[in-house]
Parts: sequence; C-alpha cells; structure tokens
Amino acid sequence: MAVPSPEPQRVSAPLVRAAESVRVDRLTHGERARLAVEILASYLQAQRALRRAPIESVIARLRSRSPAAAPVAPGSLEEARRLGRAVSRLLRYVPGDTRCLARSLVLTRLLARRGIEAKLVIGARTTPDFLAHAWVEHAGDPVLDPGDGSFGRLVEL
Amino acid sequence: MIPRTVPDIPTLLAANVKVPQHVVYRSFPTETVVLNLQTGKYHGLNATAGQMLDALTRADCVRNAAAELAGGYGQPQDVIETDLCNLCASLLERGLIETDGSPKP
Repeated sequence: MAVPSPEPQRVSAPLVRAAESVRVDRLTHGERARLAVEILASYLQAQRALRRAPIESVIARLRSRSPAAAPVAPGSLEEARRLGRAVSRLLRYVPGDTRCLARSLVLTRLLARRGIEAKLVIGARTTPDFLAHAWVEHAGDPVLDPGDGSFGRLVEL
Repeated sequence: MIPRTVPDIPTLLAANVKVPQHVVYRSFPTETVVLNLQTGKYHGLNATAGQMLDALTRADCVRNAAAELAGGYGQPQDVIETDLCNLCASLLERGLIETDGSPKP
C-alpha cells in the first residue's frame, strides 16, 4: 500500500496564506489615496495634539468619536498589520518627526476608527545606550516594529 | 505648571510617598528608567536610587523606608535619611513622586 505523500499539503498551505496576504494588500487607487489622506490627516492631528497635551490625553483624543473596539475578530490582526505597513511606508517620505511615537499615534487613530482594539506600548532599554521605543500591539501581537527584543515595556496606553 | 515645594526634613521624614498615576518606572539591571507621561521626559536612576524608590513606595513613611534601607546597607539610619530626603527632593521637583499634601498637577 502506498504511503500518501505529505508533500502537497506542505506546499499548498503557505501558498494559500500568501494568496490571502496579497489579496488583503491589494487596494484600488482610490482606496490607497483615501488611506494616504487619512494617514496624513491623522499625523497632523497627532503632532498638533502632542504639542499641547500629555500623551495620555492625545491618545484619548485620537480614539474619541470612534466605534467601541470590538473583540478580536477574524482578519483584524492582518488588517492591523496592513495598516501598520501603510503607515510606516507613507510616513517615511513625510518631513518632520515621523519616528516610532508618531507612527504609533497615527496607527492608533486608524485602528480606533475601524473599531480594532490596539494598545500603544512604550518601552526602553538602558544598554548599550539609553533608547526608548514605541509600537502598537493588537491582541498582544505587534503590528508595528517592536524593535529587536531589547526593549522592556514601560507602559501600555 | 504648578510650582512644587519640597517639605522641610521633619515633614518629609513623616510623609508617605506615592508615585503618581502619570509616572511609570521599570528597573533594569543597571538603572531604573522613570517616564513622566505628562512631560514626556525620561529620567534615569542609578541602582541605589532605584532601590530607594522601591523602598519609598513600599514603606508607609520616608523614615520607615530609611530604616529598611539602613538595615540592608549596614549604614547608620541618619545617613540614609539624609540621602533619602535628598532623593525625595529631586524626585518631587521633577514631579516623579508625591507626598501627603503634595499639590495635584
């Protein structure tokens, strides 16, 4: 009796995942443009707010007038990661301070508008030099670059 | 900004110290990092100051924190009390701790 080969299953599963990933990332030109405008507007709002208020108030303001964050839904992690990639890609070309905190605030705003639960995490490390870093997590999974693992969590907002 | 006044030493020694809600801190092997979320500023405490902050938050007054630390360090309590009061004054000025009767920011 022939032993069934596991080969087709091993090959097909990653292909299916890759196809889903491509489909999620594929947006029409109009959708891309709308997302870009939303990112830029959120960036300006976050920068203005940060000059006037402490970060906790800024985050509360960015989350205000948004639907209540829903429990973790199927596909929400992929959607959060897709938006995280879009924020990182676009803000790379924007003048001004677009480092980790700005990116995290913008993504927090985008996720809140879509009712996707997210936490903004601020971490720090002390060696070899002091460095602080911010990123966003959805249901415990980072959706922006959490760094190289050397950052200890200071606070989740 | 609300001016922060440091109490005199007898008042400070009897005071209870709290870390306000807008301040978070974490101990790392070489230092303790304190973040004031209201100002966005990070502060570094060396290992000894980090242990002192831990003791201050555990004890019900600065004097008792000094007694605990004096036992651990094998130093006279009055020496530790002076050091602890100096640290408290620095932390109070930066809004990183509150004592009984501290003005709320």
